[in-house]
Amino acid sequence: MEDKTYLSIAYLGMIFGLAIWTWTVVSRSRNLEQRINAMEQSLNIKSVDSDSVASVNDTNDN
Amino acid sequence: MRVRAGEVVLGLGFIGLMITLFLAFNWAPSVNINAFQAPESQRIFYWHVPAAWAAFIAFAVLFVGSALWFFKRSPLGWKLHIAGSEAGLACGLMAVWSGCVWGAAEWGTPWDWEDWRLNTFGLLTLLALFLVLGRQSQPDGVESRDTFSTFGLYGFVLVPLTYVATRIWVIRHPGPVIGGDEESSISGDMALVLMIGAISFTTLIVGHILTSMEITKFEQRLERLQKELDGE
Repeated sequence: MEDKTYLSIAYLGMIFGLAIWTWTVVSRSRNLEQRINAMEQSLNIKSVDSDSVASVNDTNDN
Repeated sequence: MRVRAGEVVLGLGFIGLMITLFLAFNWAPSVNINAFQAPESQRIFYWHVPAAWAAFIAFAVLFVGSALWFFKRSPLGWKLHIAGSEAGLACGLMAVWSGCVWGAAEWGTPWDWEDWRLNTFGLLTLLALFLVLGRQSQPDGVESRDTFSTFGLYGFVLVPLTYVATRIWVIRHPGPVIGGDEESSISGDMALVLMIGAISFTTLIVGHILTSMEITKFEQRLERLQKELDGE
């Protein structure tokens, strides 16, 4: 293979990987937010941000 | 739809990466054609080195997050652990991929099993892969978090080892281009493009870490809502 072919393969692979990774992360974040908003509206509640595993552990420690 | 800080930072990182790519192909000088087997392929390093740099930042975040969770039971620490392992995996894979392609062009082989730098960095990336896949296959709990945090803590030993590998055991991987000796230094223009690349990758990874932490926050909120719905 030619020198520039290797260069193109390397950059195209990285661009493709970056695009997939970023798309997955951003779309997952938006989907989750939409699901949470829909659930909170239907249940008419406002949940707080907390980590249930960490809080369970705190309770056990006390 | 509200604007998220993570996505804005991500966008800035992408713009920086595109500028780096443009400068790498159109502005950065070529290397001495007698010094390399594949001189054009050397332009891979404008993304390869910053990707490895970003991976080191991600592994540092993983280490801090693991320590915060393991010793302080900090919810923020767990979020950093998740974000650091995911970002470390992505940047590690990019560095390994571009390095393998360059190795195939320059050395005639994509991997050298006797080179310390390649193998320690490969192990770091495999560690991140284990953490990401392991977390997805295990139920979330104190025990599983402790196990993964322990791996995050001990795995960080590989970071300084990888960093000094080319200084102590120079086998095949080129020596450091910044902070190395006079022979390994690069020209001012090349260093400038490399620095823009490093800043861009750092910005991108910060954006990814912020977005990943937000995802973890949403997942925990969803789990709580589900429990309320189930009457627990």
